[in-house]
Amino acid sequence: MADGPVYVVDRVVTRPGRAKDFIDCYLAEYAPGARDRGMSLRDILVSPPIWFADQVNTVTITWSLPDARAWWEMTWKSRPDASIGQWWDAVAGLVSERSRSVAAAPDDIDGLCDV
Amino acid sequence: MFSVTRLIDVSADHLARVADSLENLTVDGPARHAIVAPTLAGSRNGGDLLLHLRFETQDDWQSVAAEFESALTDPAITRVTGADYHGAATVVADRTPGTVYRTLLLRVEPDTDAETVNRFEADLCALPGYVSSIGAWQLTRPAHTVGATEWTHVFEQEFSDADGIMGPYLMHPFHWAVVDQWFDPECPNAIVRERVCHSFCESPAHALR
Repeated sequence: MADGPVYVVDRVVTRPGRAKDFIDCYLAEYAPGARDRGMSLRDILVSPPIWFADQVNTVTITWSLPDARAWWEMTWKSRPDASIGQWWDAVAGLVSERSRSVAAAPDDIDGLCDV
Repeated sequence: MFSVTRLIDVSADHLARVADSLENLTVDGPARHAIVAPTLAGSRNGGDLLLHLRFETQDDWQSVAAEFESALTDPAITRVTGADYHGAATVVADRTPGTVYRTLLLRVEPDTDAETVNRFEADLCALPGYVSSIGAWQLTRPAHTVGATEWTHVFEQEFSDADGIMGPYLMHPFHWAVVDQWFDPECPNAIVRERVCHSFCESPAHALR
């Protein structure tokens, strides 16, 4: 069994003109707790790279964790914490749609599946 | 097959006595398989004692149900949750029979559309194919539930051993990157929001076969 980093990817389509507000809010209010749960912020990408006033942007936020076990430890901390769901509800006015996925590097896939 | 699962919260001082009383009811009874065993460390919301009975027919269960239900009113028991359900297990070819029985009781949000539930069930059914420590499994919608939560699904497995749960089952990417999205409240497509019961115990008798 070989471990490799695990990435948590939040893909958020913001409401028109709200991308910067969403990112500011995410970094100020969501990110500290996520770091406390063991996640490291890898990057934030905005597409298209324009602060639109009247169109949507897609914000892709990628977190990393050392391995799958760290992912479980992270999620076991987050699930009983109702404030996290309440935070996502509170920013609904900035978000048009969103998804969360979990990923890994191609070179790590065979090792991660060898359990 | 008709199956009956009960997760029993009972004080430690009385666990052996309650287990004995339930075990006695299984002797020479109609159950094809019977498990009465303490839950193992790592169970979550899974009770202290696990009772699992498998009958050929629901009538077989009905012939003894009153005795079990009476035993489960023991004053040392503080909570009973569980389900009764039809269905047969799938045995995974070329895998050795397991020694640990595990059950997951879960409730899908009631407003979930049928197509989404079908996709959820398909993911659960695919999981044992990726997890080498699962020798047999069954996914069932219960006919009857017991306790405060109306469970919508029972997902059972026969594991090689307890390490097979904490290792291959938890750590395979199909679990944490595919199946778990249905359970993770941070994923917008989660449909299981109530606390699940994850319970497992020793079962040398290969309960799902």
